[in-house]
Amino acid sequence: MTWVLVSFNLVMALAAVPAALVARRFGPGRTAAIGLAVFAGAGLACGLADELSTLILARCIQALGGAAAVTAALELLPATVGSEQRATTIWAAAGATGAALGPALGGILTELVSWQSIFLLQVPVALAAAVPIFAVAKHEAATGIVSTELRRTGRPHLWANLALAMVSAAIAAALFLLVLLLIEGWRLSPIEAAIVVSAMPLAALLGGKLTTLVPDARARAAAGAILVSGGLAGLAFLPKATIVLTLPPQILVGIGLSLVLSALTETALGGRAPQAIHGGWTISARHAGVVIGLLALTPIFTAEIDQQRHDAINAGIAVILDSPINPLLKLDLAERVSERLEEEKGKVPTIGPAFEPLPDDPGERSEVQQLQGELQDQLDRGATHAFSTSFVLAALLGLIALFPIALSKEVEL
Amino acid sequence: MSGEGRSRGLLLVVGSVVVSLILVGAYLAAGGSSYEPEKVQDPCQPRPWSNPQSLSEIANQFTVSALDGAACQLGVSREALARALATPEARERFKKKYGINDAKLAKAIRAGLVRAVDDAEEAGALSPILAVPLRETVQRIPLSQAIEFINDAESFLGNVNSFLGPAQSLLEEFLP
Repeated sequence: MTWVLVSFNLVMALAAVPAALVARRFGPGRTAAIGLAVFAGAGLACGLADELSTLILARCIQALGGAAAVTAALELLPATVGSEQRATTIWAAAGATGAALGPALGGILTELVSWQSIFLLQVPVALAAAVPIFAVAKHEAATGIVSTELRRTGRPHLWANLALAMVSAAIAAALFLLVLLLIEGWRLSPIEAAIVVSAMPLAALLGGKLTTLVPDARARAAAGAILVSGGLAGLAFLPKATIVLTLPPQILVGIGLSLVLSALTETALGGRAPQAIHGGWTISARHAGVVIGLLALTPIFTAEIDQQRHDAINAGIAVILDSPINPLLKLDLAERVSERLEEEKGKVPTIGPAFEPLPDDPGERSEVQQLQGELQDQLDRGATHAFSTSFVLAALLGLIALFPIALSKEVEL
Repeated sequence: MSGEGRSRGLLLVVGSVVVSLILVGAYLAAGGSSYEPEKVQDPCQPRPWSNPQSLSEIANQFTVSALDGAACQLGVSREALARALATPEARERFKKKYGINDAKLAKAIRAGLVRAVDDAEEAGALSPILAVPLRETVQRIPLSQAIEFINDAESFLGNVNSFLGPAQSLLEEFLP
């Protein structure tokens, strides 16, 4: 799964600025229309892929289309919404909302239909978006009006883009690791996990309201980075494997990501022309951050979950061995637990089946049920703790982003 | 930028710091830093016997002591060894993982059984008259039998009691 995510984000990071140059050279309408068509076609290929390599290749092509569509959209928006400033705000907010909404929507579709449906649904959505753009593309082709102000391209805003990359790495960790914790660690179904992580996009809406109240983009960016880090630190130190306890950190991350992504994108674009090129830099920075976050944190998390799984199993077996139940029964239980672990190799197992059938004797049955609860508690502890280091590192990334945020120039929009 | 805009920005930053600190502080205070699997005990450290009464209770602690003793010899956890003894397949995986052969495993399990006899004797659960021949027996049995003794300590101790119990009564009659 990591490589499916990494491949898309890596190509987006590399293709965003060249795609913006293409949009400037050949017209944003035509570029966006072709980009959306490529995105839809590759989405169809993703949905029909029967091999991982095909899926990864199709995702790379989809990223090329996506990069063209997203950067060209920034050139098209001012004409639609009335001003460049408003276009920047909407474009930045759309990016933040998409980042927050993606995991929840993906989980619901995976559970209700299939993972393929995530990609197949993108096809009509992309084509529907392409319809009005075709008119613009046709107009561009007929009049031949495209901007050729390539030499006026200013330097990208280094600090804002650097901060965007760092914060995006932290946010990618929040979204990716939390979904993994819920599904792989706490054994929630994809739809249950989607419902739980929907707290983040809901909180992001609240963050959007704060954006209008605080005009200082640098303050919003700093507050957002602090909230993202605080939420991630909260996820790192969960005191119990309970869904409710993930909600306050998620609310902080949701509000934070909405504030910081939009503020930094506005800062990176503020007063700079052409918008598509600088928008391309922000897309590039954000997706490069996601790639760095995934590549840096996935090995740490993978090693940790193996170690924690091992520790949790040993702690669980210790609970069984130290219990007062019949020695034959306890060794039989230890054997069944071992078999169960082998069946679900590499995953945090659901331990219930290892305890079935329960003993007939009521006293023994009650003791075995208590043991089951204690063993499950050890596994939950292990699964939760396995994510702690990655969440702490992600929180640190968010805090480090405060340095480039502090160095970024104040922008009045 | 207006003064009000600046103060709102400052308020937002300070508020974010405070809310984040409250959340992390509350989670740490509720045990967030120690929410992890419990550490298993070193098998080489003595584990107290809790005054067992019935044969089943004695067998229970005998099993745990034997596993501790064998695991200590092998330098592995008691829990890893218990899982390894569950099935022949699990045993093979265990031997491969830790680079242990049958002879080393047999030696360790016999040592574990001796420790279990010692612990049982020390706890008063096994009389010295039964402990002496038992100690001699467990040091000579083959690996499969030794594993069987650990896996079904209750039957093992029950049999010992049936065979040696009458002899013990006789000896107790003649000895001061």
